[in-house]
Amino acid sequence: MNRCNRKVAGTLPYRYGFGGRHKPWRKYTVIYKSVLLENLQYVANVALGFFSYFVFIYIYNRLWGYMYRSPEELIAGYTKEQMIWYVMMTEMLYFGANANVVAGEVARDIRGGNIAYLMNKPYHYTLYILARYTGEWSVRLPMYAVFAVLIGTALVGPLPHFQWITVPLMALCAVLGITINAVFKLCISLFSFWIEDTTPFQWIYNKLILVVGILFPVEIFPEILQPLLKLTPIYTVCYGPAKLIVDFSPEKCVEILAAQAVYLAVGSGLMLLIYRKGVKRLYVNGG
Amino acid sequence: MQAIKVENLSKTFRVKRKEKGMRGSVKAIFHPQTEEIRAVNGISFSVKEGEMLAFIGPNGAGKSTTIKMLTGILYPDGGRVEVLGIDPTKKRKQLAYRIGTVFGQKEQLWTHLTPYDNFRFFGAIYDLSEQETEERIVELAERFELSGFIDTPVRNLSLGQRIRCEIVASLLHKPKVLFLDEPTIGLDPVVKENVRELIRQMNREEQTTIFLTSHDVGDIEKLCQRIIIVNDGQIVLDDSVDHLKHHYLEKKDISLEDIIVEIYKAQGEG
Repeated sequence: MNRCNRKVAGTLPYRYGFGGRHKPWRKYTVIYKSVLLENLQYVANVALGFFSYFVFIYIYNRLWGYMYRSPEELIAGYTKEQMIWYVMMTEMLYFGANANVVAGEVARDIRGGNIAYLMNKPYHYTLYILARYTGEWSVRLPMYAVFAVLIGTALVGPLPHFQWITVPLMALCAVLGITINAVFKLCISLFSFWIEDTTPFQWIYNKLILVVGILFPVEIFPEILQPLLKLTPIYTVCYGPAKLIVDFSPEKCVEILAAQAVYLAVGSGLMLLIYRKGVKRLYVNGG
Repeated sequence: MQAIKVENLSKTFRVKRKEKGMRGSVKAIFHPQTEEIRAVNGISFSVKEGEMLAFIGPNGAGKSTTIKMLTGILYPDGGRVEVLGIDPTKKRKQLAYRIGTVFGQKEQLWTHLTPYDNFRFFGAIYDLSEQETEERIVELAERFELSGFIDTPVRNLSLGQRIRCEIVASLLHKPKVLFLDEPTIGLDPVVKENVRELIRQMNREEQTTIFLTSHDVGDIEKLCQRIIIVNDGQIVLDDSVDHLKHHYLEKKDISLEDIIVEIYKAQGEG
């Protein structure tokens, strides 16, 4: 039956089904869901990225294998299994929550003027981007999580002392870490309102996250540096979630979640402020 | 009542300038040079509710910059703007609920979704309830004859079908003012006529104010009662289409397109 000839109220299957009017989050949920639907069409493309992930993990498995002289040895408080699982978890977050949308695409939108066509709708541009990004990683990350668990179990065996009951807290911590990372990368991209190219700043941020957090846990750095590192967003972006997965403790969980709440609030405030100031400088020509 | 009020509106862009070649590129690093371009230079006009206005001019005249200031995308350097009594620079989001925009050269629909899913998406973006969205989709789909392709992904539609869907998406929330930026560009004559008829019908039935920019004289002649011509950021003519045709056609037997070209040329020489 043709959609146009159907009876109206209550007879059509509501595909988004988020209820009534004036619910400010409804529109962002719809954006999220639309991107999710789009990305579900490209699941095979995501699976192609598994190869790079596997090569990376295989190399680090071998490297840490040489570093640990015996299976009982501890380096910076981590056993060999914990250290490899740590890298696998941080790499899973890195690959599974690739932040191209919040980095490259936002900068291109601003420089190329495409932002003009996205701003004339009744939503906040930055929240629109975050909803899109969340829709993207919601497909990729679970796939990488399953793959990581499979190759982790095959390469180093099951994670010692892992408790399934802690998974919801770990998941919450991972989601917050990904969102904080996106917010800070978005802040950098929004500087495109003032400067020609934000790529070098993204590069520096990426490398900091990679070295201090993804490849090595904070404890591996000199003790004098550790309090400083714990004050950076890096602590909440990848170290926190991965640390909880490999070595969960209620105290650590509370500490990391509290730090994440502070960083999310500060980062979001900064993001909204930069956007508010920057959008007044928008230069869009032609048409 | 006035739907749009513009007083002394100005916008200046700062554009980078660079000398030729490698030497110029190196010099630009240490001594960057910029030039100020006055895209809109103190224009004033108003548009009545329900009026269909053609806002035209040669490329680079300042049309799109004006539209972007009217919709709150760009901030003016000087002057005042009011659209439906709202200042776009202060309340862009509030204004967005009451206006619609169609850009013929830029698709706003999500191409992987069907028109139906896009309309549901836009319904949610504009805070329409499920029932309101459904009722509006049924009404507009019938009026714009979308039944044959409402469930086909947008990427598989022809340009004419896509433009009709773009217009429907921009009308879902019953905007009081519709900004149309070259809505018929690239369409064949039959589809163009069809789109124009739909815009006319919508203006008649919903009293929607139409602010049209187009290089197609047919759009202007068949849709608009009034025409504003801008050049170099300034208004060079503000007249009714009938009066303009009458005034010129009295003297010689020429079309509206010839008249507009003559005005553009006269401004260029001046």
